[in-house]
Amino acid sequence: MTRKMIIRFLLFLALLVIVNFILDRAFKAFSVHNIINETMDRQYVDYRGTMKYLTIGNSHNCINTHILGNSFNYGSPSENFIQSYYKLKHILEEIPQKPQNLILQADISSFGPKIANRFEYNSYWIRYIDYFELARIKEDRDVLTRWLEGRFISYAGNYKDIQLSIFYRIKVKTLEIYNGYRPHRDYRNFANEPNRQIVAWNKAKLLLSHETFLDPSIAVYFEKILQLCQEKQISVIMVRIPMSKEFYEEESKIVPVDELYGAVEEIACRYPVYEGMMDYHDLFFDHPEYFFDPDHLNIKGADLFTQRLVKDLGEVPSAVFSEEAGETSGNP
Amino acid sequence: MLFNSIEYLVFLPAVVAIYFIIPVKWRWLFLLFASYFFYMCNRIEYGILILFTTMVDYFVALQIERSSSHRKKKAYLVISLVANLGMLAGFKYLNFFSESIGLLLHSFNIQGNLPVFSILLPVGISFFIFKSLSYTIDVYRGIRAPEKHFGHYALYVSFFPQLIAGPIDRSSGLLPQLHHPREFSASVLISGLKLMLWGFFKKVIIADRLGLYVDEIYAHPETYTGLSVILATVLFAFQLYGDFSGYTDIARGSARILGYDLMINFKRPMVAKSLRDFWNRWHISLTTWFRDYVLYSLPYIKNKKVSFTWLYANLIITYLLMGLWHGASWNFVIFGFLNGVFLIAETISEKPRRRFLDVTGISPSRFLKNLTGNIITLSLIIFTLIFFRADNLKESRLIISNSFNFSNLHLSVFQILRDNELLFGILALVVMLVAEHLHEKHDLVRIIASRHIIIRWSIYAGFIFFILIFWAQQKQEFIYFQF
Repeated sequence: MTRKMIIRFLLFLALLVIVNFILDRAFKAFSVHNIINETMDRQYVDYRGTMKYLTIGNSHNCINTHILGNSFNYGSPSENFIQSYYKLKHILEEIPQKPQNLILQADISSFGPKIANRFEYNSYWIRYIDYFELARIKEDRDVLTRWLEGRFISYAGNYKDIQLSIFYRIKVKTLEIYNGYRPHRDYRNFANEPNRQIVAWNKAKLLLSHETFLDPSIAVYFEKILQLCQEKQISVIMVRIPMSKEFYEEESKIVPVDELYGAVEEIACRYPVYEGMMDYHDLFFDHPEYFFDPDHLNIKGADLFTQRLVKDLGEVPSAVFSEEAGETSGNP
Repeated sequence: MLFNSIEYLVFLPAVVAIYFIIPVKWRWLFLLFASYFFYMCNRIEYGILILFTTMVDYFVALQIERSSSHRKKKAYLVISLVANLGMLAGFKYLNFFSESIGLLLHSFNIQGNLPVFSILLPVGISFFIFKSLSYTIDVYRGIRAPEKHFGHYALYVSFFPQLIAGPIDRSSGLLPQLHHPREFSASVLISGLKLMLWGFFKKVIIADRLGLYVDEIYAHPETYTGLSVILATVLFAFQLYGDFSGYTDIARGSARILGYDLMINFKRPMVAKSLRDFWNRWHISLTTWFRDYVLYSLPYIKNKKVSFTWLYANLIITYLLMGLWHGASWNFVIFGFLNGVFLIAETISEKPRRRFLDVTGISPSRFLKNLTGNIITLSLIIFTLIFFRADNLKESRLIISNSFNFSNLHLSVFQILRDNELLFGILALVVMLVAEHLHEKHDLVRIIASRHIIIRWSIYAGFIFFILIFWAQQKQEFIYFQF
């Protein structure tokens, strides 16, 4: 091997490192999810006054913080209980602002193996998650590749996020977030979908698996959240977010719903801070027009749902966005 | 340890660096240690199995050479066959045999529960046993002399790039190379890295992405019909090709970096013009193994004449065994059987087909002939792959019957067109097939290598980052690891 070849080889490696560094930085700055999540982080740190309710979950969590006063919606896209635990731990240990109640999203899809193994946006989550501890708990060394991704190659396998970030900049343009709540789902309506059942089935199989309804690692971290709240004396209320009828039908083909919630209640009831479950999953079964897609409420649906939640929590709405709140169906 | 895991991306550079740093005389020992470490990462006990096979075949081969009588030689060969095939049967086929006997007894109304054993199939057992077995058979046949150096032989059996899923290299290919430790060569290193990169493209961009669609359909065969099922079955053939040939490229690339050449396992099988052509291009190391050690060992002379009946029967037996090699289930038996039958049908119909063309005066162009041959070949292979992919016979039947149900055609089309991952996978597949075609015609690697350094490096770096950005997030194991 000649000296020239060694130098060339090293130069090529250096080129790869430089390009990787640029792509990594560019992705972190460009990713719309990073921007959203970091804005929420900043808003949480800047929150002033009493925080009566902190709501946590994933993109299904659409509790409007304009309507539910003294609240912060910290739910983020594709978040699972594992990520929620680490974020909550960080909040409660590092930030002076403490919530009085935790509203924990508890949908059917919150507990399965698919969500448990769905670790997206690691370049954001790396600031909270202890990947080494997680790898030990899950007994899965592959978790460490997520750490590597988050630290050095954030763009790897994340072409969908790049695509979404471009789409977002073209279509959505503004990024309005108030106490974590983001009213943005107004550019599509599930009622206009010609094949609602098949779209719902596609979504259900994306989120759920026949394998097991309660993933062991989710069960561990669900308990960790409850333990943490017990230590900090924060009341926990679980909420099932409204879903479209079609989505629920498809979900219940995959998951034994009663068995799942029996197991969840059994764990939660061990902790005195647990206040109970508020079940709104069928609130809008007859109203596909309140949905953006099978499993996400649109802006109007989110407003109506939050108004109902506020009423059931015995609170007074901070703002009323629709007069139809009282007319909705369902029996939560 | 998977090739597409982070552990391997640390393991390989570490092995390569140490291998070329240490003195030449210790290199075989280091590679042997690395290979056992690689294998025992899956499960420590597995090391004992591979050591057992190695020791048996090493000593048997020496005894075969030392024995003067043919009878003794044969007895030693039988020891090797019993030890190796016994181990394979014990770990891989015991439950299959037990269940099959149980079913047979049940059909005669004989009740009784045969035991079901809880045995974990050691990764790659079929590969290293076949490799080691080919060596003793070669020594018995006098094709090669036995290896005197136990360490070199142990390394031949356990060489990590090909340990888990081949290629099933013959002793005449790899063993002599192990006697001559390689000097470090930048051009060989780069060539190996390029091959690995191409393998990763096939695995993580194509196979894993197509696998998402195929797995979904085959996991719920009762839900899908018509076009969705047909597309999944067709794509499975390409997924399997991308997955296994991708694995082979990574294996061959890894070995090449260390200076060793492993045999070619795939020669663009998807362009095969006949079934015979297909099996000459697909998993070559396995098909040639069965040809050399099974097919050619079976008798086909009767009354001093070649008996075609015997020849065809031998072909069926060989393909049945080849199907069974893939896995302990009736599905694989049917997969092998169908391939054998189709191959015989192709051979028998060759003359009548030619005569038909002569009589009718039809003289299709070469292109049309090749295209027709390719379509028929792939259709037959894809049909047999239903049995390969489905979990059991019931599921295979359901897949076949649902393939003819087009009642939800519009929904299937709607679903397919909305699946961006699938469409991207198909696009990448087309790119791969075109690139392979161009490479065969024009040697793309050489063309790129002859370009200016800026263009060359841009292509290489671009390809690396393309793979990184677009790899399928859901990592999947290599399909052939289960065999």
